[in-house]
Amino acid sequence: MRVIAQQMVRPAQYVALAGYIIFLGFPLLWLLSASVKSSGELNSLVVNLLPQEWHWENYSEALARQGLVRSSANSAIVALASTALVILVALPASYVLARLKGAIRAAGVGWILVSQVFPVILVILPLFLILRTIGLTDSLVGLTLVHTTYTLPFALWMLQGYVAAIPVELEEAGSMDGGSRLVVLRRIVFPLLAPGVVATAMFSFVSSWNEFFFALVLLQSPENYTLPITLSTFIGGEGKVALGPLAAGSVLAAIPSIVFFSIMQKKLTGGLMAGAVKG
Amino acid sequence: MTSPHGHTSTTYPKGRPMKSRGVFIAACLTTTTLLLAACGSGDAGDDGPVTLKFQALSDQPAAIAATESIVEDWNTANPDVQVEIVPAGWDGVYDKLITQFNGGAAPDIIHYEAASIVSFARDGYLADLTDLMSDERRADIPEGVLDSVTVDDQVIAYPTELQSYVVFANRTLLEDAGVEIPTGETMTWDELREIAKATTKGDVYGLGWGLSSPTAAFMALAPGFGGTYITGTGEDADLTVGEGEMALPELVHGMAYDDKSILPVTLTQSGSEAIASFYAGQTAMTVQGSYQAANIAKDAPEDLDWVALPPLAGPEGPQQAANPQTLSVNIDSEHVEESAEFIEFFTQTEHLAALNEADALIPATTSAQEALTEKLGDENGWSTILASGQNFTAAPYLFADSYAQWKDTVATPAYQRYLAQETDETELADQLTSGWDEITQ
Repeated sequence: MRVIAQQMVRPAQYVALAGYIIFLGFPLLWLLSASVKSSGELNSLVVNLLPQEWHWENYSEALARQGLVRSSANSAIVALASTALVILVALPASYVLARLKGAIRAAGVGWILVSQVFPVILVILPLFLILRTIGLTDSLVGLTLVHTTYTLPFALWMLQGYVAAIPVELEEAGSMDGGSRLVVLRRIVFPLLAPGVVATAMFSFVSSWNEFFFALVLLQSPENYTLPITLSTFIGGEGKVALGPLAAGSVLAAIPSIVFFSIMQKKLTGGLMAGAVKG
Repeated sequence: MTSPHGHTSTTYPKGRPMKSRGVFIAACLTTTTLLLAACGSGDAGDDGPVTLKFQALSDQPAAIAATESIVEDWNTANPDVQVEIVPAGWDGVYDKLITQFNGGAAPDIIHYEAASIVSFARDGYLADLTDLMSDERRADIPEGVLDSVTVDDQVIAYPTELQSYVVFANRTLLEDAGVEIPTGETMTWDELREIAKATTKGDVYGLGWGLSSPTAAFMALAPGFGGTYITGTGEDADLTVGEGEMALPELVHGMAYDDKSILPVTLTQSGSEAIASFYAGQTAMTVQGSYQAANIAKDAPEDLDWVALPPLAGPEGPQQAANPQTLSVNIDSEHVEESAEFIEFFTQTEHLAALNEADALIPATTSAQEALTEKLGDENGWSTILASGQNFTAAPYLFADSYAQWKDTVATPAYQRYLAQETDETELADQLTSGWDEITQ
């Protein structure tokens, strides 16, 4: 009886996993399905995952929409730049937060928590005025800085958790072996932090890639629009929505993000294997 | 492995520093490229023609093309005053405009809707166009529509496009039920109710009406019953809920629960969602925004024989409250007069006709309505829809400061509860008025 139960465990795990994957993947499948359906079928009571008639025109209409490709490039630039900046700042800062005790840590953690309290709508006007004073409204640089600022607190919070999980004895061992603090950081701490850095980078990238409100308010020129702004133009007044082209545009828009994730995912799992503690 | 000294030894990942350095350099290059790209863009200088920024919200490809064509014609004819289209989406545009106005970065010409620009006008962000609008244009705009863009005796926008509520019917289902298709200039609500009852048979309901957010429809159609809801303007506006205001909600309630002639699920759907049951033959009629005529023509099953019924008329007539799309001018624009001249050009008969044809909406000027009627005839119910263009009347609720808050926090939930049979007529009226009092006190 016990043997049978043990034999059932693995299939049950696979069934649970399959169910979870379907749960996660179904919205994407539905998006793909909607992207190749005609508006008539999308407004029909008959619901099928596979379209009755493949309507590829949604893709040509989405691509013909002003600036979809350009706004994808803008989103990629802003997301990559803000991710790089976030990691550059968060990596050393998180180490300080995790390792040092006292007032600096308390102030840092306090700042992180307080910064998450304010609704975006409260800060947007002062932020707009500041950026306008320094000439950075309607620019990708300004948006990159805003995304960096907005993502940084949570990224710091994430990374300091990873740093705290690295036994301090490892650093002490490195020091005993003659390594300076810089060497210990470079050769011990940072490699072990790779999974955390990748996870934080992914979070930062997604936050920036999907961000709508700051981009909506700060960007004024179509040539600077990011993807969420361009996609929002598929939603019209009077409740009109071009569902098919919107779905097609969303599928096209997801491609760079999927590529980024597939690359980073390898690093994420690779990083987990690196820097193992021995003994 | 533990060293003789008791320390834990560590494996140094080979090559890792090189990779980290590479990532760092890549990050720096990205940032530098971004900075250089930003430095490369910018204004060419103050010389040259005046450039007006026109923030346009057109979302339909045909409407975008029509707008671009009008702007191109203007730019060709006016080399010294060039107009640059800044496309924007409807989603979040109110927040965008608030920030733009407060930050002094609003475009010269602003496309939006009457219901939303009144507060901007009251706050002093929109130019007074009263003296800049030509007599010809003023005479061409129906009085009720012009009233909807007049704040404190100042014309603060040119109206361009409107939608009305229209009944679309499945001709086959009506004829099968022995109903004669109404063809007069108007159709009464009582007629609609009778037709809905007559066509409710088996699995078919007489009417589908997407009323998940019912306030806009009830407010827009109330004038036909003598309902005004609002008296006064601005902070002094007051709410009245009497017979005229309650007539339509009570009618819908009666059709849904006494006659059982409204497909219940549609009361919880949007207009676009409710149209699916019309396509499927589950409802014989559906009340929709007039722009849906174009979608029905495109999306309905080939065997669906449909028709747009005459405008609905209450005891007071076929009036519907006007909430047109509008073009306004930023009061801080350095080129208010040039902007108004462009809008005059934009609202010429042939331009408004082309734009509204593309958007499947009703032109805000009589001449453009006539031009479109002449061009399209009775195709896809256009003649019926365009005829309703003369029935627009002023919407007092546009000018009440507290309307938007009352609509979202009081009216819509109260109407939803009523249509779900959680409250009765008396409770609905009480909730509407006490909610208004709470907001305005």
